[in-house]
Amino acid sequence: MTTTAPAPTRPILPTAPGRVVTRLAVRQVRRGAVVVAALSAGMSAVVAATYDGVIAGAPGGAAALAALASNPAIRTLFGEPVALDQAGGFTVWRVGTVLAVLVGIWAGLATVRVLRGEEDTGRWELLLAGRVPAPSAVARHLAVLAGAALAVGAGVALALLVSGTPATGAVVHGASLALIGAFGIGVGALAAQLWPDRGTAAGATVAVLVAGLLARMVGDGVEALAWLRWLSPFGLAALARPYDADRVLPLAVLAAASIALLLVATTAARHRDVRGGLLGGARRRRSHSALLGSVPTFALRSTLRPLTAWTLGIAAFFLLVGLIAESMTRFLRDNPAFADLARQAGFELDAVQGYAATLFTLLAVPLGGFAASRTAALVRAERARRLDLLLAAPLTRVRLLAATTTATAAGSLALAATAALAVWAGSTATGAPLGLGDALAGAANVLPVAALGLGAAVLALGWAPGAVVAVGMLPTAGGFLLTVVADSVDAPDWVAALSPFDHLALVPSTPPDVPAALAMTAIAVCIGLIGLVGYRRRDIRGD
Amino acid sequence: MPAPDPAVPALRTEGLTKRYGRLLALDSLDLSVPAGQVFGFLGPNGAGKSTTIRLLLGLARPTAGRAWIFDGPAEDVVAAHTRLAHVPADVALWPRLTGAEVLDLLAGIGPGTDLAYRAELVERFALDPSLPTRAYSTGNRQKVALIAAFATRAPLLVLDEPTSGLDPLMEQEFRAAVREARDRGQTIFLSSHQLAEVEAVCDRVAILRAGRLVEVADVADLRALHRTEVSATLDGPVPDLSAVPGITALRTDEEPGGRTRLRFALTGTPTAVLRALAPADVVALRMREPGLEEIFLDYYGEHRDVRATAAPAGADAQVGR
Repeated sequence: MTTTAPAPTRPILPTAPGRVVTRLAVRQVRRGAVVVAALSAGMSAVVAATYDGVIAGAPGGAAALAALASNPAIRTLFGEPVALDQAGGFTVWRVGTVLAVLVGIWAGLATVRVLRGEEDTGRWELLLAGRVPAPSAVARHLAVLAGAALAVGAGVALALLVSGTPATGAVVHGASLALIGAFGIGVGALAAQLWPDRGTAAGATVAVLVAGLLARMVGDGVEALAWLRWLSPFGLAALARPYDADRVLPLAVLAAASIALLLVATTAARHRDVRGGLLGGARRRRSHSALLGSVPTFALRSTLRPLTAWTLGIAAFFLLVGLIAESMTRFLRDNPAFADLARQAGFELDAVQGYAATLFTLLAVPLGGFAASRTAALVRAERARRLDLLLAAPLTRVRLLAATTTATAAGSLALAATAALAVWAGSTATGAPLGLGDALAGAANVLPVAALGLGAAVLALGWAPGAVVAVGMLPTAGGFLLTVVADSVDAPDWVAALSPFDHLALVPSTPPDVPAALAMTAIAVCIGLIGLVGYRRRDIRGD
Repeated sequence: MPAPDPAVPALRTEGLTKRYGRLLALDSLDLSVPAGQVFGFLGPNGAGKSTTIRLLLGLARPTAGRAWIFDGPAEDVVAAHTRLAHVPADVALWPRLTGAEVLDLLAGIGPGTDLAYRAELVERFALDPSLPTRAYSTGNRQKVALIAAFATRAPLLVLDEPTSGLDPLMEQEFRAAVREARDRGQTIFLSSHQLAEVEAVCDRVAILRAGRLVEVADVADLRALHRTEVSATLDGPVPDLSAVPGITALRTDEEPGGRTRLRFALTGTPTAVLRALAPADVVALRMREPGLEEIFLDYYGEHRDVRATAAPAGADAQVGR
């Protein structure tokens, strides 16, 4: 060899390896953050901007609405009404809770995804083999997520300011949304340190947030338990009373709780192994081979654990709905004027059947979430290359998808039955006359919308597997948000008609809209089949 | 399971092609693997080995061409997969299930499993099946897939780099299991980077480069095509080897102490060389058969520019038919 060896070069050491990690975190969070921020700011702006034309112009105006909203049952569901005589206060009451749930759950799940999800795939081993220590990598991801939550809050505050509402209220409401996001991030971060798998960590995060929401609902509805609101991020946001008292103390408590969670999570990262968790280590255990003998039974077995968690959440919420039914309907019977007003605001609440019907429509959203999350689990199995082993067996993709979709559909039916039983049990316990048949009919009525969600998720599975959750949630959560906005701003009929909720009859207070139900089911089956065609044609690929 | 007709190839491809966007991952592969053989499938990273296997299994859809498993179309996965078992390169298991549960799942959906042999394999591979698979190392995950595949007794085993995570002891178990499978008449299609392993177990190999098949040959023939490296250190006068048949690349180096070191490559039998060296005072003699590794390095070196020099299309296509 006569060629001269190249002169030795010094390795290039980036001066700030941490910044590389930060940039990675930004890339993983930005898309969802932009969507959530745009949705939150957009909905707030639209509702606030149309307030004068819609609510102030209604018979009785804001004062009548305020009286309606002071009913304990209404307060349970939509939060304590504050400053309904202003555009800002009305916006907070009408869409604030929905947005708070959206921001909190998005923030919590995004945190679990970028921390535990990435660690589950083994990518964090590569990341942490670099010069950035684990607690610092966790802290940088959390800082980026917190920045995203702040941006969402700032977007809402800006939207309300631009709509002409008072600055203090806008800032307080924006801050409360940002802090609920930060709280969700803290819970997600802690769950990601505690449990060594993404599914459990995500479930625990959502469970904490749903428990917080239920605590807020009970605290708002039952005066003796009003203190419960101090234990809930949603309750603390309500206690801040934007556009009214604009209190800072509850927000300071929420901020302190969020910061404490974030600090504990970062510290916990120091005390565990990568890919391990502080809880649930991998211990030897007896094997249980029940339901492992075939693909349909395995799909059922895989569904049971998440189904249990969804069942508990839905049962708790709808039991509460049932328990307050009597108080709600008695109030409306005594004040018939409000029943009309309620109808105008989109709630058919004058009898227990109408009340139950309105509340059952909400059930479509968790059912859509369940279907989307189960379909997303199939995508995760594919990306993790677990499907390679299954599909090397004498098993077609059609059968695999049929098995998982059937298990999901059966789970959705079980969840609907759970909601019906819970409402019936709650209303029966408090003496409201809602029959079990009525409750089951009301829950069954939303199944076509849930089917649309499942169909959309399967459509995305076939053609855009990365978008299963977003597309799968479009008919249910997306349709619900559209209906909320369309109702609040008196949108043109064709806009409202885009939402599946616009085509739901209020069962059991009115007979079901059978043609609409059949049409929605047919559309669900069609888009599901289109998804199946795509799933058969495309490559199965890991990442 | 009916014994396969030995005349029917265990797997066969015709013009099998896969494009990922602008990347041509596999370029018109024509390959035939006779039943009953241990068939090595070699090539550098990115050559298209895993792509070929994914196409054979129906996990990826071919851009063009077709594949058959025992003369049944590969896309009919129910029929094709009742005759094969697979170990993926990157074994991913269900983290919450134990090893035993995963084995039961794979047996439940697979082409039929010999449970007694499976229990024996669990012992031999020293797998702890009562741990959740989350706790398994890469090697242990691979063991689960290997045990599940070997226990099926499917007539074709498609193994994609199955031993990359195994320790040398387990590697020995793997080789033993491969031999047992061959003795039972199973065909093994083994994609591997471990050339020593391929050398130890394979009857025949195919070499893939940049998506194209460049060679199919028996391992013994491949080796015969290549040269033995000989190095001899002599004290005193050096005989003239230049006329000895079979010798090439002769080098003579003076060593300290008046010794001379001869190095050359030898093709064919060493008789003539030994005869020529007999009168000399041979201090040290070393003869080295090239390993498969060198053959392949040699091979890739020689063929590095195969595509750049525009080999006529279809030139590879006849290989291995």
